[in-house]
Amino acid sequence: MFRPRIIGFVCNWALPKRIEIPSFPRMKIYPKMQVVQVMCVGRIDPVIVLDTFAKGADGVLLVGCPLPDCHFVKGNIQAENKTKILKKLLSLTGLEPERLQLEWAYATEIEPFSTIVDAFRNHIIKLGQSPLVGENSDEKILSNILAAKNAVADFSLRVLTGREEELTEAMNAYGKRIPQEEFDDLLDEIVNREFLRHKIHLLTSQKLLSVKEIATIVNHRPALILRQIADMTSKHMIALDHVEETTPLYKALEVK
Amino acid sequence: MCQIATFQGTSDGEHAARGCRQKMIKHDPNSMRKRKLPPCRAACPADVNVQAYIALIQQGKFNEAVEVIRRSMPFPAICGRVCFSPCQDACTRKEIDKPVGVRYLKRLAADIEREQRNKKPEPISVSHDKKVAIIGAGPAGLSAAYDLAKRGYPVVVFECMPEAGGMMRYGIPDYRLQKYVVAKEIMHIQDLGVEIKTNVEFGKDVNFETLRSEGYKAFFVAIGAQISRKLGVPGEELKGVFYAVEWLRDIALGKTVDLGEKVIVIGGGNSAIDAARISLKLGAKKVIVAYRRSRMEMPALPQEVEAAKKEGVKLNFLISPKRIIGEGGKVKAIEFLRMKLGKPDASGRRRPVPIQRSEHLYEANTVIPAIGQIVKTAGLPSLLLDKRGLAITANLSTLETRMPGVFSGGDSLTGPASVIEAVKAGKRAAESIDRYFSDRAIDRYIDDGDVSNGGKVEVEETTWVKHVDTIIKKPERYIGSHVDIGRWEASFEEADELLARNKETAISEARRCLECGPCTECLGNEKLCDADKAIINEKLCSGCNLCAVICPYAAVKKNDAEIAQVDEDLCKGCGICSASCPDRAITMKKLPDAQIVAEVETALRRAAI
Repeated sequence: MFRPRIIGFVCNWALPKRIEIPSFPRMKIYPKMQVVQVMCVGRIDPVIVLDTFAKGADGVLLVGCPLPDCHFVKGNIQAENKTKILKKLLSLTGLEPERLQLEWAYATEIEPFSTIVDAFRNHIIKLGQSPLVGENSDEKILSNILAAKNAVADFSLRVLTGREEELTEAMNAYGKRIPQEEFDDLLDEIVNREFLRHKIHLLTSQKLLSVKEIATIVNHRPALILRQIADMTSKHMIALDHVEETTPLYKALEVK
Repeated sequence: MCQIATFQGTSDGEHAARGCRQKMIKHDPNSMRKRKLPPCRAACPADVNVQAYIALIQQGKFNEAVEVIRRSMPFPAICGRVCFSPCQDACTRKEIDKPVGVRYLKRLAADIEREQRNKKPEPISVSHDKKVAIIGAGPAGLSAAYDLAKRGYPVVVFECMPEAGGMMRYGIPDYRLQKYVVAKEIMHIQDLGVEIKTNVEFGKDVNFETLRSEGYKAFFVAIGAQISRKLGVPGEELKGVFYAVEWLRDIALGKTVDLGEKVIVIGGGNSAIDAARISLKLGAKKVIVAYRRSRMEMPALPQEVEAAKKEGVKLNFLISPKRIIGEGGKVKAIEFLRMKLGKPDASGRRRPVPIQRSEHLYEANTVIPAIGQIVKTAGLPSLLLDKRGLAITANLSTLETRMPGVFSGGDSLTGPASVIEAVKAGKRAAESIDRYFSDRAIDRYIDDGDVSNGGKVEVEETTWVKHVDTIIKKPERYIGSHVDIGRWEASFEEADELLARNKETAISEARRCLECGPCTECLGNEKLCDADKAIINEKLCSGCNLCAVICPYAAVKKNDAEIAQVDEDLCKGCGICSASCPDRAITMKKLPDAQIVAEVETALRRAAI
């Protein structure tokens, strides 16, 4: 029988503990999900989540405290924002976004916590093994995940994740506010753009490639690729290596 | 928990009381590593983390704010008064309304800290055996001493005047910078372990040979530019001609001068304006500042010029003295020549060109030339000096001179400049001397930006506060300088009112900061900044059991040896035990990302079984 490898990043403050419920049998949960205890679920860097998938997890469950109750005031909102971006990125990479889930739980109540874990586990069993595990693992998805990892590690996505609430909801002192729909559009655009850029960067760092070759690999119009390459050149991510006959070949530069 | 976490939007007092790392989480812990600096910080010659102390002032944490400034330089109160504040000029907020009043905030924070401080700072332990001698206790010398002492070198500063402080004490008049402020800041440096020997003149009492024989291995020559430049016109030897720098020094030393009714100050720098304002305070009826270029080219601080005008100083532009006319050995009048502006010269300002046959007379009892300062080179070895023997030569970026182990900087190298630029030179000298001792390449680390990071970080400004035009304009900022002419005119007290000594005003002014950078890197209290778990230093623990009583999660317990132990599974990193431990035995440590990744790996391995 298929035993999914599930990693749960569980907030310190949401994980039922033996101190709260002395009779709680820890081992009942633990074979179903490997718990990595963190200070706050909002603390989990998207890079770590993608890294976990790249290392072969079948599913990642994030468990935090319900919305108004974060110990760090807004950590769970951050976790929501990060999950949103991660799901968008996962759907771009080809891995099922449902393999990542964010749930809320109280440390004092054991029942909901077990229910969440059971439901998620059943869901993962339905989805089957991660395409990144095993002998015939999908190289393309793996490279996509790596590109996504670089994308979330980059500046623009990181800043955008952190500021979603401030930009869309908070009544900041200067009355600056972006409507939620506008922000979502912006997020879509930037996620797509950053993913594409880091995908190009990853491809060209392995091999010198022309615009057309990149376009066939990532399945986009060459014009779009060229535009991204122009932007990336100005950001010192990529450079023209040499021109073969009439085809310019690009190589990735090391990003500082 | 983050020191500058804000609690906007929480109505629940309990949330606020818990403390949080909200801001840090908001920007992601990894955003501590950022690529660019906010413009204010990039603009500061001394690399003071402006954004951090503004953010701490927003929280009302004035003492912590001063600590942040002291990390970069030793003169928060002095720079809060006399700095020309390039940070304020660079502030992004200026594109909306007015820049944040950084200088006044710094001044208020420093003043509050000075009043509240009730104990001396701990002396820094000496960890190197190579002694450093610093010649000149001005801003450059003292900040070099401060930086070197912080790096663990034994430092001795030699000063020829009876008090340390250099131009900060003997050049800048009382109404801009009070003596006790300077004295307190210098006392802070001394408390850290820097020794200052006053009334020791270099070249007379000591020189490089005697100091080397006493065991000093490196030297920083920061003697400043202490002599006024001569006018070079006939009649300079007459009675009634006082040179600005020497004259200001005499007044600071408490000498009295008879000025007469009419005073003419020649020059357009800060010394000229200082001299003019002081003449007025000393009882002169009519004071004229004569400058050979126009108002645009004046190097003096605009607010100083404005204050001088308000007090009744007359400014005459585009005139240059031709000769000083005397009567009975005393000054009677000056003949001026009218000028016009020609093409820009090397300094980028337009060169004044005399207009022929435009001579005219001004009556005067006293003439105060303030047209620049030069270095007193007597007593210095010729190897330090240039070919003509008039100025010190050194590498402008690494401050090395031709003598091995001897460095020079500040006014004595670059000509008269500002306090903050002298601090920059001092910090740079400290870095160079440290590299000289530790055999690291001296000439490699400098770009023109950053010294404290060894030149590794590219100093670039953030540009991420965009769409500034959409931000609502706030009312005019508090300008600070409320000079009540009637009261201050004849006084040597500081003329600038503080931010009404009002913390509320300061906090709301600080809130105008746009925070052009993710984490401010204030590291307010580094132990708490990114703490995840408590650790106990068993040597310090006295077994009082307070931590066990106070821990809300029952994570701390005493073991058989009466020493507190932390259960890592239960500890939630709140820091309450650390804050309450009377022995300071509990510190907080961080749970790094790498540890989480390692845990993930073991978890995956466990799952595969």
